[in-house]
Amino acid sequence: MKQKKTLLTVITIFVLFALVYLADQTLDPYKMRILNLCAIYVVLGLSMNLINGFTGLFSLGHAGFMAVGAYTTAILTMPDVVKGQNFFMAPMMKPLDTAHVPFFLALLISGILAGVVGYLIGAPALRLRGDYLAIATLGFAEIIRVVFTNMQSVTNGALGLKGIPVSANIWWTFGVALVTVLVIGSLINSSYGRAFKAIREDEIAAESMGINLFKHKVLAFTIGAFFAGIGGGLLGSLLGTIDPLMFRFFLTFNVLLIIILGGMGSITGTIISAFIITIGGELLRFLDESMTIGNLVIPGISGMRMVVFSALLMIVVLFFNRGIMGTKELSWDSFFNKFSKKPLAKGGNKQ
Amino acid sequence: MKLLKVENVSMIFGGLTAVKEFNLELNQGEIVALIGPNGAGKTTAFNVITGVYTPTIGHISYKGKEITGQRPDQITKLGIARTFQNIRLFKELSVLDNVLIANHLHLKSNFLEATFKLPRYRREEKEILEKSLNLLEKVGLQDAQGEKASSLPYGKQRRLEIARALATNPAILLLDEPAAGMNPKETDDLTEFIRQIRDEFQLSIFMIEHHMQVVMGISDRICVFDYGVTIAEGNPYEIQNNQKVIEAYLGVAEDYA
Amino acid sequence: MMNLNAVFQYFTNGMDLGTFLQHLTNGISLGSLYALVAIGYTMVYGTLRLINFAHGDVFMMTTYFAFYGVSTFMLPWYVSFILAVILTGALGMLLEKGAYRPLRNAPKISIMISAIGASFLLENLAVVLFGGRPKAFPSVKVLTDSVQFGSVSIQKLTFVIPIVTIIFLFGLLYLLNHTKTGMAMRAVAKDYETAGIMGVNVNLTISQTFAIGSMLAAVGGIMWGLKFPQIAPLMGVMPGLKAFIAAVIGGIGNIKGAVIGGFILGIGEIMIVAFLPSLSGYRDAFAFVFLIVILLFKPTGITGEKIAEKV
Repeated sequence: MKQKKTLLTVITIFVLFALVYLADQTLDPYKMRILNLCAIYVVLGLSMNLINGFTGLFSLGHAGFMAVGAYTTAILTMPDVVKGQNFFMAPMMKPLDTAHVPFFLALLISGILAGVVGYLIGAPALRLRGDYLAIATLGFAEIIRVVFTNMQSVTNGALGLKGIPVSANIWWTFGVALVTVLVIGSLINSSYGRAFKAIREDEIAAESMGINLFKHKVLAFTIGAFFAGIGGGLLGSLLGTIDPLMFRFFLTFNVLLIIILGGMGSITGTIISAFIITIGGELLRFLDESMTIGNLVIPGISGMRMVVFSALLMIVVLFFNRGIMGTKELSWDSFFNKFSKKPLAKGGNKQ
Repeated sequence: MKLLKVENVSMIFGGLTAVKEFNLELNQGEIVALIGPNGAGKTTAFNVITGVYTPTIGHISYKGKEITGQRPDQITKLGIARTFQNIRLFKELSVLDNVLIANHLHLKSNFLEATFKLPRYRREEKEILEKSLNLLEKVGLQDAQGEKASSLPYGKQRRLEIARALATNPAILLLDEPAAGMNPKETDDLTEFIRQIRDEFQLSIFMIEHHMQVVMGISDRICVFDYGVTIAEGNPYEIQNNQKVIEAYLGVAEDYA
Repeated sequence: MMNLNAVFQYFTNGMDLGTFLQHLTNGISLGSLYALVAIGYTMVYGTLRLINFAHGDVFMMTTYFAFYGVSTFMLPWYVSFILAVILTGALGMLLEKGAYRPLRNAPKISIMISAIGASFLLENLAVVLFGGRPKAFPSVKVLTDSVQFGSVSIQKLTFVIPIVTIIFLFGLLYLLNHTKTGMAMRAVAKDYETAGIMGVNVNLTISQTFAIGSMLAAVGGIMWGLKFPQIAPLMGVMPGLKAFIAAVIGGIGNIKGAVIGGFILGIGEIMIVAFLPSLSGYRDAFAFVFLIVILLFKPTGITGEKIAEKV
């Protein structure tokens, strides 16, 4: 049975990549861009879910980690000429102006740097609980943004960076998303993942079971930051342009929306929801743009899309606060059970 | 050998003395009970021993080594495990997961070995799983392993909490009112069960309990608390005939028995 | 005077006394505005243990109410301002009823997410209803004129703001300590379940708390609009966060603390930029650094008490 499930998973992955190939061949650039964004949001959603959903730490600092990743990837992949064009206010800092690494390495370094920043923020901030932690992480993310706005010779300040090589294609984004799913999935199902969930359920009991709260919180936070950095790097590379304003709290809110809708503490929920929110967000664009039906021109209301989004978040929290999946996962077991109508496979003892 | 030694411990919150000059020695294999009216500071004494609170005054040592001021997880790792008065299971997780989690503290593999399922981790995980299933069988929960902890009936939740505490490989088990809310039949079973695990896991047990039947039935020694002060200590026979105790406590308890 | 100034310049790295006083008054008036908004945060946190993320956006809405009152409905400024304050109070109550009351017994994280959602909803509604482009807040000559003090000219508003703040603070303290409504509010803040058993109408009292907090933010919003006469849908975010930080600095749940925190933050922010102009780009980060330092070393603020968790 176990082998059969592994086989099914492998087949699914192959089918997925066949579909990616098909998409790559047939879809127009606009649709490809949306698909890319979906995959990137899977990475971001999972990284945030590891911290907020699985470990139960209410962190609102995701945009900061993404900024670190996006800037790192951009700086390490931009050609010298483009760097020269960007940095006309002040020349770029010395070793960075000629620094280059391959895209893969740039992403990895982005993740590591974001992880280091996550560690440095987490070590003091994770002594706080609940809403104090939320506000402190939010504060740290804002500080990162302000620092990036002011580090003219490294980040080009408020002007941002333009002309980042668009290395992130569908293979990269789906590849990284798959690796993230597998790695975070495997971590969550390991003894460490159980410890994270124990902390989420009851800190005092977890500590009494010998779990070093601080160590495990910092671990989850750092790994989450690592993947957020990689996600940020991919995002910057896909968009080709980044500036500090991109990394406001709003970006964190987007990712938060994904994990709330998908279910705090569900990997499959996060994946489903990343696709729903990203594609849904694009479909709702018509709200902002003017429409022409026959002779009738309906002017678009700019911002309407975001009203719908915020209202959606409120509705989910108020009426379906466990999201699509809650803490459950879609698995082959649940799949078979649904279709074979057999009673659930759990040992008797109904009371 | 003196396994646990609590010397002159006082716990003061603001101006309130919750525990005053508490002394305790726990020997290998002993069962000692801590009794006293509600609000007498019994759970506070537990919290001090397990590191939830650092005592205001006094020392606690385990196997001759000072442990005062250590964190709860460090103390558990040394070999002192506990249960909680108002059951604190990981409610949303499965029964099996609850026990597996309590094995985490002895895991040698780091998170990378665990994530990438390297050989050492796979071996450890296999051992943990076997041990946990074994424990569940011991407490009679083998059939419920896949169920959510919060879906268990009350008595089974108490047993699961004990199984979870045992999974940390303790030498000392601290039970906070294990018989609370149980009917007489369950109480009898529990008494037998506690004796059984004591023998099987070579435990020393320190417990808070209100059911006199349980306390008198299995305790080697009994400590009586009143307003944070130890008013008596001795074997069940001595305690039953101690005038102070009868006044402070047993006289009241008889109505409930 | 010359001598004093020379001594002063010696200590302040060349800044003359007049300039310093100008910065100080600026800091005090900015601090007053933070204080007014901070009171709302602290009252709500004290009652529901909830960071009302939408409070800064409530503050933003006021400025639009006042703007439309003057520009569209041609009301005299004082009528428009009073109406704006009342409407904001109603908005605060609506917010509580719609976004927080249904979740009162839900996990804390849900309520906080609801608060974040409400905040974004208000911001985006403002974009849709009022347009994303900044608007000019009506100017009120009587208040925005300048007065001359020797060589320096200072806007009247700089004095009006702290005075108004102090008046409202004392009004609030009177309300809390000497009226029945205030007593109910304090009781609910202490423990709303027990207060309910004792016969306090908990829902009504929480509604009133939101109304009062929002109205104080509204007063702050109007004065903010007069001082920085450009209003936009996202204008409430930064002042809101900073006012929250002020509330944390003062010990959240403590009204006088919130006011003190507001002053510390306002004055500190202006002074850092005045004395270290090279750091002016980091002005917005200053508040957050301050917040984090306070959280780490004195998490309950300068006046707060420790709340222990029961095991």
